[in-house]
Amino acid sequence: MEQFLSAIFAGTSRGAIYALVALGLVLVWRGAGVINFAQMGQAMFSTYVASNLIMHEYSYWVAFFVALGVGTGLGAAVDLLVMRPLSGKRSSAMLASPAMRGTIPVIASLGILGILQAAAGMIWVAEERGFPTPVNALGLSIGGNVMPFTAFDLFVIGIVLVTLLITTIFFQKTGMGLAMRASALNPEVARLSGIRTSSVRTLSWAISGAASSLAGLLVTPSANLSPNTLDLILIIGFTATVIGGLDSLPGGVIGGFILGLVISFINVYDSPSDVFLAILALLLIVLLVRPQGLLGSKDVRRV
Amino acid sequence: MCGVYKLIQASNLLKSVLFFWVIFYLGSVLDPYNQGQLSVVLMFFIGILSITFLTGLSGQISLGQGALMAVGGYACALGVLNFGFNYWQSIIFAVLASLIAGWILGVTAARLSGPYLAGTTLVIALAIPSLANRYESVFGGDVGLSIDFGNPPQWLIDAIGDIGFEQWQLLATLPFAAIALYIALNLVKSRTGRSWRAVRDHEIAASLAGINVQQMKIFTFVVASGFAGLAGAMYGLRGIVGPSVYPISLSLSLLTGAVLGGLRSISGALIGATLVVFLPDLIEWITGRWELAPQIGNYLPAMVASLLLILTVVLNPAGVAGTFRYWKSRH
Repeated sequence: MEQFLSAIFAGTSRGAIYALVALGLVLVWRGAGVINFAQMGQAMFSTYVASNLIMHEYSYWVAFFVALGVGTGLGAAVDLLVMRPLSGKRSSAMLASPAMRGTIPVIASLGILGILQAAAGMIWVAEERGFPTPVNALGLSIGGNVMPFTAFDLFVIGIVLVTLLITTIFFQKTGMGLAMRASALNPEVARLSGIRTSSVRTLSWAISGAASSLAGLLVTPSANLSPNTLDLILIIGFTATVIGGLDSLPGGVIGGFILGLVISFINVYDSPSDVFLAILALLLIVLLVRPQGLLGSKDVRRV
Repeated sequence: MCGVYKLIQASNLLKSVLFFWVIFYLGSVLDPYNQGQLSVVLMFFIGILSITFLTGLSGQISLGQGALMAVGGYACALGVLNFGFNYWQSIIFAVLASLIAGWILGVTAARLSGPYLAGTTLVIALAIPSLANRYESVFGGDVGLSIDFGNPPQWLIDAIGDIGFEQWQLLATLPFAAIALYIALNLVKSRTGRSWRAVRDHEIAASLAGINVQQMKIFTFVVASGFAGLAGAMYGLRGIVGPSVYPISLSLSLLTGAVLGGLRSISGALIGATLVVFLPDLIEWITGRWELAPQIGNYLPAMVASLLLILTVVLNPAGVAGTFRYWKSRH
């Protein structure tokens, strides 16, 4: 029972982080039609910035918000420097067919990932370093009993829920959120009704950058920080997105929590070395049985 | 028409034979280090050809070609160590094994496109090497299995004199690279190559023209896996077959080479392979006169390769070979 509960709590707290990653991926997919494989590279970079600030005796929260800012900036920069020039090239022979239009941005995002990882390696050396938590990461004890979760787990779940709430309000209640939904649904019509779709696109890259840098900050305390550590999180986030439906924000979040629990149960009851295979199996089952994901719309695979 | 095909085939054969002798000559004049590097170029060339078929010609992206190379490598190692094949037989066994792996992959992947395909193949690239740890007794875990090219046969030594370790590695790789080149040249100009391009450019139009798109996509995966498996078997024969030999970065290097050289052409694959393999040497040669901090030197090749990748994609998506072709058509 003890084991079961701790698997549930660990899974929920990891799942919350994966939900954030999935949120970032879905935002960019809906906004720009690109799966951003550089996303966790951006998160890695901003987490390194935070880690540097903490090493220079700044408080956790200063580092936290600076990292979010860096993540936002990186997201916008990726769009302005690479993706926007690329989407202006639709008429060139290489990008003429829909198959290649889905492929070339993926290659570009892998290039960005490579640059960020190499830059982090050059600036901060490849030495692995830990990352602190703002609250105690040991088992919480209430009334003398050690609980199966830590204060940090609660912190992660809380902060992710707040983020999801803010995102929902932003999309449902604000004009900018409406503009983003409109551009995702039908860019032509959105442009005709006076929405600057290219700015909206940059905004979705920026918000996605913020969400993923938050994920980076929350996940690194349990793994050492190095230029490559977050690659794995990207894979998990991608799978979560596919499970939930690539174009559905709530779907991505649900997918994140599902995957967090699945991985946690495999870690506890089986062995960590099976995690990859389980992810692959889960991904293939979803793609074969329900390719649009849990909440995705039907024709989402037509890129 | 028949005459034209014979002509094309003859010219392809000529190109492949020329390729063989040029590399053979280079192998006899280079120093051992560069002989070794050149043999890696050939292995990358075969591996990148698989991406040329998949991405450049039929419009499907795969980030998992490194994993298919691993399939080839492990099959080759098991052939040598467990089944007692000599290594020529093991290489053929490796190609067969990766053809089957490619078929399984193709059946699932042919339904996907664009980012879905990229993500799924990326997961596969991570999952397949982890099998090595899962079944440690068979695949040797993190350490891997050790195999090598063995010793050069006596008749070859009699013919060209003493052969060093690296030169033998090059000479053993060369025939396979030449055969791969010949097959690739013929495939591109054949009905298959045309079907691939049709599927890439317009799936619906292709199916209206009588191409079974799904089967064609699966077939592309099978062919590409055969090439990747061949490359992987020889990549492993350099010494060790293990998870560290086929990391995820290998898949990405192959993709980088394919894009830099030119996704759509066979000469592009060769140019790309040469670029990717010799880039670190070139950078070291250029920066050798300055005292760089070690971490900058370590990450500089990756940085330059990634920068080139982005610049190519944004400014010149057809790659080096595409640029040549453009010039040729203008002048």
